[in-house]
Amino acid sequence: MSGYFFQRLLLMIPTFIGITLIVFLIVRLAPGDPAELRAAGGLGAAASGGISTEKRGAVDEAMAQWRAQYGLDKPLHVQYVLWLKNIFTLSFGVSLKDSQPVWGKITERIPVTLKLNFWSLLVVYWVAIPLGIYSATHQNSFTDQATTLFAFVLFAVPLVWAATMALVFICGGDFYYLFPPGGLESLDAAANWSWWHKFTDQAWHLFLPVVLLSYDGFAGLSRYMRSSMLEVLRQDYVQVARAKGLDEGVVVFKHVLRNSLIPQVTLLASILPGMIGGSVIIETIFSIPGLGQLGFESVLSRDYPVVLALLVVTSILTLIGILISDLLLAAVDPRIAFGRRAH
Amino acid sequence: MASTNSPTQDRVTETTEAGGLWSDVWQRFKRNPIALTGFYVVCVFAFMALFADFIANDKPYYTEYKGKSYFPIFRSYIVGVKLGQWPAELLNVQFKKLEGAESIFPPIPYRPSNINLLEPLEPPSGRHWFGTDKLGRDVMAGMVHGSRVSLSIGFVAVGIAVMIGVVLGAIAGYFGSWTDLVISRLFEVMLSIPTFFLLITIAALLPPSIFLTMLIIGATSWVGIARFTRNEFLRIRNLDYVTSAIALGGTDRKVMFKHILPNALAPVIVSVVLGIAGAILVESSLSFLGIGVPAELVTWGSILHEASTTTYAWWLAVFPGFAIFITVLAYYLVGEGLREVLDPRLRGLR
Amino acid sequence: MFAKSWRLIFPLLLTVACGDKTELKVADVKPALSKEEAGKPVTGDWLVLHSLSDPEQLNPLTSNDASSSEVLGFILETLLTRDPRTLVLKPLIAEARPEIAADKLTYTFKLRRDARFHDGRPITGEDVLFSVKAIKCPFVNAPFLRVYFNSLVDAQLIDPYTIRFVTKETYFLNESVLGGIVVLPRHYYDPDNLLEKVGVRDLVRDPATLPSQVKKFGDQFNKNYSRNPMGSGPYKFNLWKTGREIELQRDPEYWGNGKADIDQPQLDRLKFRVVNNFDAALVRLKSGSLDFMEALQPVQVVRGTDSERFKREFKKYEYYAPTYSYIGWNNDHPIFRDKRVRQAMTYLTNREQIVKSVLFGLGEVVNSHIYLFRPEYDKSLPSYPFDPAKGMALLAEAGWKDLDGDGVLDKVIDGKKIPFRFEIKINSGNAVRKSVALVLLDELRKHGIDASVRELDWTIFLNDVKNHQFDAMVLGWQMSTTEPDAYQVWHSSQASNKGSNAISYKNARVDEILELYRREFDPQKRIKLYNEFQKIISDEQPYTFLYLPKRVSALQRRFEGVEIFPDGLRPVDWWVPARSQKFASTITAQ
Repeated sequence: MSGYFFQRLLLMIPTFIGITLIVFLIVRLAPGDPAELRAAGGLGAAASGGISTEKRGAVDEAMAQWRAQYGLDKPLHVQYVLWLKNIFTLSFGVSLKDSQPVWGKITERIPVTLKLNFWSLLVVYWVAIPLGIYSATHQNSFTDQATTLFAFVLFAVPLVWAATMALVFICGGDFYYLFPPGGLESLDAAANWSWWHKFTDQAWHLFLPVVLLSYDGFAGLSRYMRSSMLEVLRQDYVQVARAKGLDEGVVVFKHVLRNSLIPQVTLLASILPGMIGGSVIIETIFSIPGLGQLGFESVLSRDYPVVLALLVVTSILTLIGILISDLLLAAVDPRIAFGRRAH
Repeated sequence: MASTNSPTQDRVTETTEAGGLWSDVWQRFKRNPIALTGFYVVCVFAFMALFADFIANDKPYYTEYKGKSYFPIFRSYIVGVKLGQWPAELLNVQFKKLEGAESIFPPIPYRPSNINLLEPLEPPSGRHWFGTDKLGRDVMAGMVHGSRVSLSIGFVAVGIAVMIGVVLGAIAGYFGSWTDLVISRLFEVMLSIPTFFLLITIAALLPPSIFLTMLIIGATSWVGIARFTRNEFLRIRNLDYVTSAIALGGTDRKVMFKHILPNALAPVIVSVVLGIAGAILVESSLSFLGIGVPAELVTWGSILHEASTTTYAWWLAVFPGFAIFITVLAYYLVGEGLREVLDPRLRGLR
Repeated sequence: MFAKSWRLIFPLLLTVACGDKTELKVADVKPALSKEEAGKPVTGDWLVLHSLSDPEQLNPLTSNDASSSEVLGFILETLLTRDPRTLVLKPLIAEARPEIAADKLTYTFKLRRDARFHDGRPITGEDVLFSVKAIKCPFVNAPFLRVYFNSLVDAQLIDPYTIRFVTKETYFLNESVLGGIVVLPRHYYDPDNLLEKVGVRDLVRDPATLPSQVKKFGDQFNKNYSRNPMGSGPYKFNLWKTGREIELQRDPEYWGNGKADIDQPQLDRLKFRVVNNFDAALVRLKSGSLDFMEALQPVQVVRGTDSERFKREFKKYEYYAPTYSYIGWNNDHPIFRDKRVRQAMTYLTNREQIVKSVLFGLGEVVNSHIYLFRPEYDKSLPSYPFDPAKGMALLAEAGWKDLDGDGVLDKVIDGKKIPFRFEIKINSGNAVRKSVALVLLDELRKHGIDASVRELDWTIFLNDVKNHQFDAMVLGWQMSTTEPDAYQVWHSSQASNKGSNAISYKNARVDEILELYRREFDPQKRIKLYNEFQKIISDEQPYTFLYLPKRVSALQRRFEGVEIFPDGLRPVDWWVPARSQKFASTITAQ
């Protein structure tokens, strides 16, 4: 087992280099120059007003100075090596927008995205697992078929559509005002609010983003849970347990559930990157200052260090997630470790 | 897949086996009414995409003008491929305003690019069934032509993904050992990088273009297919008929693509169908965020994008979103139907 | 506001003639109550403003975006400012306007002795000198600002309250450039006095020769002062919750309190709340968590803010935002080289309808690059109405007709048959410009001109524009509300070296006028020169000038003292009568 562990750890090194290389090349080989953005006065000038002529004099010279300030004038491979070196010291450089350490900008927003995703995951598992259990134990009942169909339909609902429909119909536009159109708390939330007031306010704000972030998750997971339950239910030992006359509830919750839950937990690793992606859309639509919004804004304003850091950090987290879930699976089923060692 | 229909002498057995598989698949697929419905919906959208010019166009099918008959839509195709010219009296005319002309127009007499600044943001009416957008463009015309974008992005992107995925998966699974190890690292890299964020990054940094969007969606979504292919190849490679084919002196390429691939495709097919739905979803998300799709093109996602900035215009949100939803659902149903038919483990489970 | 002050200070107003009040009345809305009804201004209450996005940073020199300028404008002060009504230069930190030496190269500013920073320390010449050094320091990441101060080559303290600037060339805008220097507290931004030993002249030289503490200063300045600005203005920085809000607090000890001719702030707090979507912001405004939306979207002005209830609670202010949009035709392009083609393009652009439908009527079609309300603006310019027939006649006259029956016009240019096919480049993220391009495109296609639109990321777009890599493009310039100087945009010398004359406009007479204008000190003669200049531009149509947008702001009705100035609204003047104050006062006034 420990041999397998070290082998996997060792194999992570080339993967890590691969990730950094691909990410760096994609971001840095794309055309366009962040200095140009600075010279024109930011994205605001693009979206609405015009460019001011005043600071456009000798603009190339100024742009060169600006690039030199952030080391963007060095050859690309030098920049890559420098960047890689920085990563190993857990420094991701400074943002091109405000010269602030990128790491600080990220940690500042982690709690927000974490909160959002924590609740979403909670909803996903709390809805999906009971639903899956019920469907599996009542296979082919009307409820099973109805939930299966419903989950299937829900899974096909595009997130952007669901979010836009929410904005149009229930967020205070021309129709109903049931939920706020954005933010994580009321704009005038004050420190002296009572605990209950703060809680209800946040719950009211979080409701839509959490539901939108989680619906396809629980739709998918409940089906997955159902099928893995069914698979376990057909195993010999379950049949034996049943044959021994054990109570059906004991069989389901003690034997079957435990074994069919493991793959669900390992699924977390693959849910994570999806959640980050979903966060981009939700956080952009509902103006939530989390990592997704930071990522999208940084991409639009070509804040390379931030974009790179976000890509690399989430990749590494996912990589670790994959490793952990593989190890978990190997712990459950030793054949995997041996099978993997074969190649 | 085309290769399965061109039998060669030395592998007649496998070919008939594979060919038989596909007709068998179709037979059993047909028995699932829900999946079949999905398939028909896909066909309807494909038909719409193919004949968009005949469903929504500002030119008439047929017009009688100054005693002569014309077929302007057909004519525009002819002129388009430089086989003919516009007759002088019809050169750059507005057919709807042509006096003394008798014309038969398509059911939606607009093109998505037809701007009418006099009727912006009109709710659905007899004139505009799905309303108009802020430039007075007909939403339904935009959706009919937008189905082209969705469909072509779905197919081309997945085509690219299949090419990359099948080749890499096949090589990894067939050769095994260190080749597999190296390629598996690549899988791991692609699995780890958050795909959607990567997509947004690339799409936002590159100039908007349909082809680029297809390319990047394809280039970021091949991992699933590759892993399926690899696993199938690993399994099939050790089957007797493959070992004997190698023993008979078949080259690696021949064995890989002629002997193993046709039999390894079954599980890939499902992920291809689901991949098309995925690509359509991704494209709509990108155009919703305002990146990836060129300005002139009206797509389902771009109409949704406008809805999110003009929230009172509910018709901009309801119709295109529903179209995406139905399309995606249809592909899911087809994919699910195929999975049931193709995956032996699932047989009898339901 | 910071940006506005740069823009304001840019041209120099020599006589009152230019500040004609009747001309400058830019809007039709009057303050809610007359002064007598509302009583006298009192302190207290907060103003909660909508902000579309966080500022990039709040560093006084290195930030370069509109959001940060708006916030910093309340915190920082400059040597000179402009009278908001007349736009005439007037002293702020300086005691009076500078003394200009006979050679017109040397400017001497005397400072007020009673001005102080937020921490109570007095403003001295040392701080001004430090501010100049900080701008000039090559390691401070403000290259775009540095370019603006290129003509300033030296600064010396004569005595603790007198500073002398030396400029490179005689240029009539020097006074306003120098007056625009923001005065930063040296003890706060350079606590170790790292720049003490270097002079301004040293800083202009090769950076490699500078002592290491200059580099150290630059690095510290870039890194440590992005989120904690300090200055001497009426408001001091309080807190910044990223992505949520920025709060400024009125400085009860503000040095200008009670002084005539200095802004008298009354509101206790200014909160800039970030809502990065206009619809969400409007919902927030209606539910009372915002007081002020500076820029309503045009669609919001006609829908969603027209209910009786909204009108009872909010007042809308309508005024012009001094920027104009245009379609720039590449004057070197074989098709657009011909002036008749460019004129035809303008006739084919339905500018009135674009303003009416795309901007919901909130804008004005313009025919010149001069702000509508400037005396330099030539009212007699022809207006080029939407007239496709005339446009097509001009094209026919220029030799364009369909030679091969494929539905696209052609012309033989330089012995080659060229179809009328071109591409309009626009930047992504600007819905209005996109609409303009699409409207034109649809019109042109009706007449057999095969145009297409290409949307590019802002940075790529700007790079293409700068390198003249376009057939046509849609872009906007800010307009000067004070005296314009169009040299950078129209002089032929600016067409090369990636200057702002990206469309390669070249006209000998225009060059001559632009040069004369810069040296001309008589405003009347300047107006005459610019009238001729505008007539030439109007005839040649190197740009198709589009529109000057109107901005509509919505403000909660409890605020008094609201007035529309040529440059927009000024929250610094606003106040709330004691009986209608919403937030309790937390600051004890002097």
